Amino acid sequence: MPPRRKQNKPPKPRLKKQKKKSELDSVLDQINDSTVADAKKELQDLLADAKGNSATFFQQNAQKLEERLVLLSKGELDQDDFNFFVENQKRAAQIFIDSQRPQEQERAERLTIHVLEVAATKIVPVLIAAAL
Amino acid sequence: MNSKNTIARTTFLCAVAFALASCATVTKPGSDVTLENLRSFEISFVDQFAVPGKRFDAAAFDAKVAEGNAKFQDAIKNEKFKARLPVLKDLANQFKAEAAHLRKKASTGKITKSLAAEMKRDINDNFDNATAKKTE
Repeated sequence: MPPRRKQNKPPKPRLKKQKKKSELDSVLDQINDSTVADAKKELQDLLADAKGNSATFFQQNAQKLEERLVLLSKGELDQDDFNFFVENQKRAAQIFIDSQRPQEQERAERLTIHVLEVAATKIVPVLIAAAL
Repeated sequence: MNSKNTIARTTFLCAVAFALASCATVTKPGSDVTLENLRSFEISFVDQFAVPGKRFDAAAFDAKVAEGNAKFQDAIKNEKFKARLPVLKDLANQFKAEAAHLRKKASTGKITKSLAAEMKRDINDNFDNATAKKTE
């Protein structure tokens, strides 16, 4: 029997490099409710903005929020736990905001307290309903 | 002979390490030491009561909360740096909020591993932020 020759497969077309989806993006993709589409977009934009900021507090706050949303979607935290952690984060954020210069406080508020409220009031109820 | 030397050398090195560690503790500002003690207390509190499946012991829980509240009150009373008082008061309030949440969850058997882990994460972050603040 003649030795098998490796077939030269045509090279696969290279896919355009895409931004890797985060675990939170996959969780948010499960929400099909069009009424929260704006809130989803706002949450993702604010989280990206916060994580790209040089201040560690913004990054830490965004990271925690993102991970807790994922834990909630997996049922490892319930809504009560999530709200408890959001209140903790809001309290810490308020102290951080107060320490900022007046002209920076509005933006700091948006990247911390506001993003936490968007998640808790608009995203979480829909995530919980989707899991039921 | 050789093993005796090794033992003597090891003992000496341990003694030096211990002495250095003691110096570090003594020279650390008292206020920081207090914060570290409070942090350890709070972490051990979560370790003791935020255990999935563990039977809730209300008496032990309440005793530990009372002990924690007393520790925070003592720390506030003895704090020499005025600027740190609001930080300590804030940490004391956080402890109360944490105890209330833990009581609600533990008494209804709704503790998860993630809840315990996230609680400890917040405690460590809060104390890190507190110790990072200037004491003047």
